[in-house]
Amino acid sequence: MMSRAVAPLVFGVLLLVAWQVLVTLFQIPEYLLPAPTAIAATVDRALAVSFAVTFIEALGGFLIASALAFAIATLFVRFQTLEDGLFPIAIAIKTTPIVAIAPLLVIWLGTGWWSKIVAAILICFFPVLVNTVKGLKAADLEYRELFETLGASHAQEFRKLRVPYCLPYLFSALKISSSLAVIGAIVGEFVGATQGLGYLIIISSAHLETATLFSAIIAAAFAGIAMFYAISFAERRLIFWSSGEME
Amino acid sequence: MNAFVLTDRLKAAPLALSKPILSIEDLNVRFGSVVAIESVSLTVRRGEFVSLLGPSGCGKSTLLKAIARLVEPTSGRIARPQQDVRTSVMFQKPLLLPWRTTLDNVLLPVEIQRGGNTVDAVGRRNALRMLDLVRLTGFAEAYPHQLSGGMQQRVAVARALMCDPDVLLLDEPFGALDELTRDVLNEEMLRIWQSKETRLSTVLMVTHSIPEAVTMSDRVIVLSARPALVVEDVPVACGRPRAPEDADAGAIIRHIRAMVRSGQ
Repeated sequence: MMSRAVAPLVFGVLLLVAWQVLVTLFQIPEYLLPAPTAIAATVDRALAVSFAVTFIEALGGFLIASALAFAIATLFVRFQTLEDGLFPIAIAIKTTPIVAIAPLLVIWLGTGWWSKIVAAILICFFPVLVNTVKGLKAADLEYRELFETLGASHAQEFRKLRVPYCLPYLFSALKISSSLAVIGAIVGEFVGATQGLGYLIIISSAHLETATLFSAIIAAAFAGIAMFYAISFAERRLIFWSSGEME
Repeated sequence: MNAFVLTDRLKAAPLALSKPILSIEDLNVRFGSVVAIESVSLTVRRGEFVSLLGPSGCGKSTLLKAIARLVEPTSGRIARPQQDVRTSVMFQKPLLLPWRTTLDNVLLPVEIQRGGNTVDAVGRRNALRMLDLVRLTGFAEAYPHQLSGGMQQRVAVARALMCDPDVLLLDEPFGALDELTRDVLNEEMLRIWQSKETRLSTVLMVTHSIPEAVTMSDRVIVLSARPALVVEDVPVACGRPRAPEDADAGAIIRHIRAMVRSGQ
């Protein structure tokens, strides 16, 4: 494990050093490409606040979308008519680019938290819905027959078979949507906001504060990565059996 | 002297004397235009080990599913003449829930019967007793992926016995295992069937192996290829334990094999 982590670390450091040397050697102006030290100097409280704002928006949207998508997936699996009727609408929402919807969200919900949270919800919802529906239907017929012979009710079959069986599907969707949530929040901030990483990116690019722009971009990437690894960690703890095959 | 005669008689004829526990009358199952089972009638008596033998895809599993009430008969009747007869099904795959320990897998039927997620001490004790019976003492806390295929199938046996069945319906129970493990588990199955540890008295097993059917059963019901029709009801009046190499068992195996070949 250690040696695996060491190699990318060494290369990362080498890359940073090369970057620093190149910028200094060729005297590249800071508005084009700031040196790593210049970027590091822009890490301050304001960046931390922007990060926290965007992270909370993304996390909020992610959690609401996941809960909503799971609930609706449950209804879809229970009532086929509902799935037939609403699935095309869900696809329509999914195929509309979030960038196109975001201005409307700002008109409706203002420049505060909710337009960003809803943007994150819209972008997270679909992958979770699709995978949960798939996962809830994934238990083999043989397993369902076993539950039938044991006299299990619909609710028992759902709780004791379908939901646990669905978890690996759910988590692979959560990993995707967790990084999408950050995108949703930032797009929302691009369109109309007074704080957050998206706002910081727009402002610093307009002012040619490229070092700040870089640190905001890196913070945005970090938000996505942090969400992704938190989900991966939970997944490994919760779904310990998935390494062995599902028979 | 008299006592000897009496025991001999009891040994020779107990099955003919015992009452039918399962009686199938003129059963037909159709899936659309496909006829899976055509006018099958058969009776299984309490205490019998009966095999349903037939080629793959002949509808014998459908027959077993119909008996287990997983498949609705198109016409005909499946009667359980005796009061309070419980049946339990065991499938070809162990079908363990991978997120549950061995003990919790065995407890699944109890949980479902009780509703909710808790099991009383009696249920737990019972489950541990069943694990002893299938020789998995000490594996209660292991997860399925930590067990071999044979051990997983033993857990499935223990789970099937948790319903305290009179009749066990086996659908090619160990068909997914290698031959060596399968032989061992077949012997175990016979031991459990004969033991007084459980209520279990009667076994109805689906198989496509002639030696397996003959060495295990009191009676082999030979089914034709789709649709399933009863070709012959072959009694196996050989002593136990028996092996396919025994002269009397061997003769029956050859007889059935010849019959199956000529039918094709």
